[in-house]
Amino acid sequence: MSPSFQPSVKYQKQLKRDLAAEILATPGGEKIYSCLQCGTCGGSCPLSGYMDFTPRQLIGMVREGFKQEVIESFSIWLCASCYECTVRCPAGIHVTDVMYALKRVAIREGIYPRRFPVPVLAKEFMRMLKSTGRTNEFWLAFKMLVKTTPLKLLTMWPLGLQMLRRGRLCLTFNRIPKPAGESLRQMLESVGERQ
Amino acid sequence: MNGNGNLRVGLYICHCGTNIAGTIDVKAVAAWGETLPGVVVSREYKYMCSDPGQQLIVDDVREQHLNRIVVASCSPLLHEQTFRGATAKAGLNPFFFHMVNVREHDSWVHEDKQAATEKAKDLIRAAVRRVAFHKPLEKKRVPIHPDVLIVGGGIAGIHAALTLANAGKHVYLVEREPTIGGHMAKFDKTFPTLDCAACILTPKMTAVKKHPNITLWTLSDVTQIEGYVGNFTVTVKRHPRYIIEDLCVGCLECIEACVYKQAKYPDEFNLGLGKRKPIYIPFPQAVPQLPVIDRETCIEFKSGRCKKTCVEVCGDRKAIDFKQQESTETINVGSVILATGFQVFDARRLPYYGYGKFPNVYTSLEAERLINAAGPTQGEVILRDGRKPKTVGILHCIGSRDENTNRWCSRVCCMYSLKLAHLIKEHTGAEIFNFYIDIRTPGKGFEEFYQRLLNEGVHFIRGKGAEINTWPLDPSEEGKLIIRVEDTLIGKIRRIPVDMVVLSVGLEPHADAGDVRRLFNISCSSEGWFLERHPKLAPVNTFTDGIFLAGCCQGPKDIPDSVAQAGAAAAESLALIDSKFVELEPNTAYILEEACSGCKTCIPLCPYSAISFVEAKKKAEINEALCKGCGTCVAACPSGSIRQNLFEDEEIFEEIKGVLAHA
Repeated sequence: MSPSFQPSVKYQKQLKRDLAAEILATPGGEKIYSCLQCGTCGGSCPLSGYMDFTPRQLIGMVREGFKQEVIESFSIWLCASCYECTVRCPAGIHVTDVMYALKRVAIREGIYPRRFPVPVLAKEFMRMLKSTGRTNEFWLAFKMLVKTTPLKLLTMWPLGLQMLRRGRLCLTFNRIPKPAGESLRQMLESVGERQ
Repeated sequence: MNGNGNLRVGLYICHCGTNIAGTIDVKAVAAWGETLPGVVVSREYKYMCSDPGQQLIVDDVREQHLNRIVVASCSPLLHEQTFRGATAKAGLNPFFFHMVNVREHDSWVHEDKQAATEKAKDLIRAAVRRVAFHKPLEKKRVPIHPDVLIVGGGIAGIHAALTLANAGKHVYLVEREPTIGGHMAKFDKTFPTLDCAACILTPKMTAVKKHPNITLWTLSDVTQIEGYVGNFTVTVKRHPRYIIEDLCVGCLECIEACVYKQAKYPDEFNLGLGKRKPIYIPFPQAVPQLPVIDRETCIEFKSGRCKKTCVEVCGDRKAIDFKQQESTETINVGSVILATGFQVFDARRLPYYGYGKFPNVYTSLEAERLINAAGPTQGEVILRDGRKPKTVGILHCIGSRDENTNRWCSRVCCMYSLKLAHLIKEHTGAEIFNFYIDIRTPGKGFEEFYQRLLNEGVHFIRGKGAEINTWPLDPSEEGKLIIRVEDTLIGKIRRIPVDMVVLSVGLEPHADAGDVRRLFNISCSSEGWFLERHPKLAPVNTFTDGIFLAGCCQGPKDIPDSVAQAGAAAAESLALIDSKFVELEPNTAYILEEACSGCKTCIPLCPYSAISFVEAKKKAEINEALCKGCGTCVAACPSGSIRQNLFEDEEIFEEIKGVLAHA
């Protein structure tokens, strides 16, 4: 049977309630149950035209427990954090923060588009912060490219070289000195545990 | 014990169904009540406020010779009068009764049943100890002044005024604009019947002007109100019109003769869409049918060197008076009806809809004026650039149902948007798009009207219009206003180019509603609407006796509801007037003259100006009729010579001791 003849009925037992509870507990997501489904977020979003589900649909699906569809959705990775939806939402939902929360769930569950730069960048960024306290743009860009689109290194290297020559990139790590660096690491860890 | 003879208290605990009995062990409390000193009878009963419940009190007083009654039930606001009545019926002074609130103060706010039961006992113990010290009191009766003040001359104020006037009562109708009529006078048609607003309103406006029982004051504000139910003294400030009302015959030749040959200044009545002269009449059917001169734009006021062609043409009538001054009227009334109405939401607060930036974005009230035959375009829907719109977008819920602006649903916008859609389509043949979150049509004939619109081919797109811009992404969008919206039913993001946008703005309280509230000493809800005494059972009363509400000042409503509420307010006012007398609560303060040192501390503190100083005796004196029993003077008196009925020191101390006797 071809896939298009699969029944699209969703059975209650297939739904998972835990995602809604998790978003509800996230700062900015407390009000998802106030959503009127008015579509102001989708209408305002500059990228909504490219999304498989609009932010409104995602919030509706989170509330009803369509967990798999939500975290597999491409939309959450498209959000450019322009905050237009958050500013306009009549229910006061911090839609951008909900998008971040959904991205974190997707990363945790290991579900994201293969070789997609956003989750890789996020992970490398955090790893670098934890180890040195600061980010190094050269190594960040390098690692991201290696893990997502290594072939791009071949075309990007002349630009990198120019930037290195002008002092815009630095090959050596710049660390935050001991006591302060240690405090930062502890803070990041404690935040991470709470997530 | 108290100088009132042998204490015999009857104690009654109400179940209030499960409201109280569900949390408090009423049987245990009743059994415990019998052990209290002085308590002769202690009972629990399902509904004390019912007739058999009240009869229990009457029978027990007669059979057991009770002399004090305590009922533990709901709030005194609801049933104090009921039980005082039962006490009186049994032959006791009604003030030998005291009420304990074990519902709002106990069962409704606690979950721990044992603790709630203990708290009920504490509150009852306090009441039993207090009631022993109660004195017999008499209610004072004061006559009610039969005249009524109505503030606001919109449809609600007009209807209330006519109802009262037809019943033979004298009404003062105070309106701050130059004409009565309010918002309804600006509308073209009314939903859902589509009858012409002016055709149904103007006869009532004229009736107001002609009615011998109505004194109409336009361009006037209430500046002060003193007194109490039945006996208010009101000060009204009347702003100059610069036209002498008694001399003007309303020929309007002065307007014609004004040195300005062309109307030049934005016309307030048409929301700036049209122009008027410095001397003008707001609209053809204005009541009173008198011109008004605008100080700000009249050359005579600005420079004093006008040819005054208006005065010339008025001739011997001499109805124009540039020297007219503000005047003050003081009137006595027995009751007040507030019908001050609403203002529409200012769409400039939401910049992404482009109101004030794109000329072809209108508010719904402006659209009403454009459609109206008496409006600035004589009823032709023509845009600011002179074009006739071929496509029109109507955006619902602007400023309503939104955490960032007003949280409430303004209730009338869905229906007036449908009406505007119908009328604009009728006038222009344009293609109309409605953008809505929910369509709310719960009224007589409303749903049928929605059906009619659906069948007229008006588009309904479920999604709040998110923004309006003028950046075309396609040649077909060139020169248009582009509405970007998520069509939530179809699940697509859409861009809809239109020629004209109507923003369906919500209703909100007047910017100065807070001042009016303070002036009349009434309450407001958190949104700023005037608060009714009870949302279901006292919808036109306020917490201040003798002051009633009508129309949108109490909350958004349509014309039928405003009229119905105005009728109800008039009926309440009539009931008050025809009862001839009001009984004043005897919980007033009184002065022990021998102890008063005449220090005058109390006099400026009294919020009701009820205390005066008697020079001859060098003592303060309290006017019982003005005293509201707030207790400020009682607490402030340095010599303790002011006391208060029902709040005597020993009553309060016994009550405190009773609560603190918790073992």
